Amino acid sequence: MPDIFVAEGKEEKEHPHSPFSSFCYFPSGVKFASKDSQEEIVLFLRRHWITNIPWIAISLILLFAPAVLGSFPILSFLPDNFQFIAVAIWYMVVTAYILESFLDWFFNVCIVTDERIFDVDFVNLIYREITDANLDQIQDVTVRMGGAIRTIFNYGDVIIQTAGEVPRIEFTAVPNPDKVAKILRELRVEEEVEKMEGRVR
Amino acid sequence: METIPLIGISVWLVAKIFVLIALAIYIVFAAVIVKQVSLMIKTVEVGFEAPIKFVAWGHLLFALGIFVLAIIIL
Repeated sequence: MPDIFVAEGKEEKEHPHSPFSSFCYFPSGVKFASKDSQEEIVLFLRRHWITNIPWIAISLILLFAPAVLGSFPILSFLPDNFQFIAVAIWYMVVTAYILESFLDWFFNVCIVTDERIFDVDFVNLIYREITDANLDQIQDVTVRMGGAIRTIFNYGDVIIQTAGEVPRIEFTAVPNPDKVAKILRELRVEEEVEKMEGRVR
Repeated sequence: METIPLIGISVWLVAKIFVLIALAIYIVFAAVIVKQVSLMIKTVEVGFEAPIKFVAWGHLLFALGIFVLAIIIL
C-alpha cells in the first residue's frame, strides 16, 4: 500500500495551512462545492507565488505613476476639480486591477481528493469553469517543467489525460510538480486496490 | 468658460456627463466583482473569505463615493 495511506486518523493526516499556500498536503479547513461528506482532500494547489510578481510589479508602477507624472503637466489643461477626479478614477482602476489579479491567483485552484481531481478556473468576471474527473479515469499524467525560473523555484505544469468528458485537465504552474504526479500515481494505485477489493464508494 | 458653438452648452458640463456615465458603468463593474467574490467563496472555501469580501465591498463603496464626489465637485 502506498506510504501516504499508512493508517493515520483523519485529524493526524490533516495539516494546518496558510490561506495563501500554493501546495497543501491534506489541508485542514478547505471546502469546495460538491464535496461529498466522506471525501477527503489530499492536495490543494494553486499557481506558485512567484507567478504573481509581474502583476505586483505592474501594480506598483501604476500606483506611483500619478506621483511621478505629476512633474509633467499632462492634465494641466483640465480644471482642478477634473484633475482631482481623474486621479481618483486612476486609483480606483488600479485597485480593481490589483483585486482582479489577486482573485485570479487565489481562486484558480486545483484540488485532488481521494476520489476525484478538480480544476477550478475563473477565466474572467463572469465565466468560471469547474472540471472534475474520477481518479480511475486518469490515463496519463505528464509533468512539464522548463525555463530557468521554473527550475529555480521548482514549479511547472501537470497535465492529466483522462477518459472522462473533458480529456485534458491542466494544473498550471503548480509547485513541486513531480511530487504532485507521484501523489496522483499513488492515489490511482490505491483506487485500483479499492476496486479489486470491492471498496469503491 | 468654453461653450460649444450653436448649442451654447459648457464643454465642462458635457465632460461631467461623460465622467458620470463612465463612473456609473464602473459601479456596475464593482458590483459584479462583489457578486463574483461571493460566487468564488461558495465554490472554494480556504479560510480567507471575510477579508476578500471586505475588500470587494470596499471597492464598490469607493466607486460609489467617487460617483457622488464627481456629482458634487464637477
